[in-house]
Amino acid sequence: MDDIKNLVKIANQVQQALLKLRNYRYLELLNQFGSASDKLHEIVAESKKLALSLSHNWFTAADYCCGSIDRLTSDITYYISRVKQFAEKPREEIPTLSALVEDLKQLEQEFGKIEFDKAATTISLITKPITLDDVYLGPFKIQLELKKLSELYKDSPYYCIALDPHPAATNEEVTHPHVSNDKLCEGEGCAAIRTALEQGRLCDFFTLVKSILNTYSPDSPYVSLYDWDGEPCYDCGYVMDRDNSYYCSFCDRTFCEECSTYCRNCEETLCRGCAGKCEICEEPLCSNCAHKCAECGIYCCESCLEDGICQNCIQESEDENEQSGNQTTGTNEKSNTNQSAANTPEIKLAS
Amino acid sequence: MRILYINNDGCGYADYIDVAENTTVEQFFMIKMSGKDAGDYMIRVNRQPVTRDYVLKEGDRITITPTKVEGAKIL
Repeated sequence: MDDIKNLVKIANQVQQALLKLRNYRYLELLNQFGSASDKLHEIVAESKKLALSLSHNWFTAADYCCGSIDRLTSDITYYISRVKQFAEKPREEIPTLSALVEDLKQLEQEFGKIEFDKAATTISLITKPITLDDVYLGPFKIQLELKKLSELYKDSPYYCIALDPHPAATNEEVTHPHVSNDKLCEGEGCAAIRTALEQGRLCDFFTLVKSILNTYSPDSPYVSLYDWDGEPCYDCGYVMDRDNSYYCSFCDRTFCEECSTYCRNCEETLCRGCAGKCEICEEPLCSNCAHKCAECGIYCCESCLEDGICQNCIQESEDENEQSGNQTTGTNEKSNTNQSAANTPEIKLAS
Repeated sequence: MRILYINNDGCGYADYIDVAENTTVEQFFMIKMSGKDAGDYMIRVNRQPVTRDYVLKEGDRITITPTKVEGAKIL
């Protein structure tokens, strides 16, 4: 008997919440209609500006008006569709108390004990532990907040709380591939969940949410199960997902972005441990692209070598040549001077 | 005869419909959910699990809810 009394109390709370939801729908319709009406006023104002621009042959101004009108028509289309969405919804009959009690009884049959928090006006159920693709995620508490049911058209009124969380290694807010911050992304179930809540079919609502939690959609998870445990960087140990990992083919290990680089010559990815550098330009180099200078033996990239000699050695060689060239020129100039003096005939001035 | 049909697949549907007398649950599923596998759905009549050869009666409430629903990431 006490159980029935409790169920009746819960059913009463649900009925009150559904009444508020129905009333909220009308308020939301007015709200959307107001927004559409504001946009219509704006478009009328823009059309007046357009007429004025054309009367003065201000074609640049006219173009600007056309742009504004174009944007406003898109906005109006959106708001009109929202108005239609709320206006065409059939008026939902609020379920009777006895129908709600039957629904709650079915809920207990399907799920086991219902938790009802009178203060917070929440109805909660706990699922069995969930494992998807051999990844253990633990049981979840599906918590419906009756106070937030009237906000159904703005925000989700329920949470999926992990009771034994095994979150993704790369994001602890993601406790399930389709749950982030305790919020479920409903995907294909969105419309059916909304309809079930609007009509007060709580058993159908909880069943649908449980179905989503027990199904893995590999196309669009917050974190895929493949990346669930992440991959640690071989160097620093940072846990990353596979999309953000870098493979070094030289040591056959995986590294994070910080611990990896790439050869500036062949653009091959490699870890900082396997990467060398050009001694001239100091850019990272792999062992395949590093060449030894034939003169001094340092390792350089191709662009810093000329005929197998590094830029430093070439420069040194040029400097040496220049120096020896200068010395030779100086000696030659002296001997030339003496020679020219010898060759110049003696000119005797007349007395 | 009239029954209440609630389909929680897709957009959700809940309304009274007419079905032929002596229609079983299995036959009803094949008509309304043609091409789908009954094993992927939870079927309840008057909130109770029933066998596939259960014959629907006037005023029955039949609910069909998918057990595999794909969630998605909010973009």
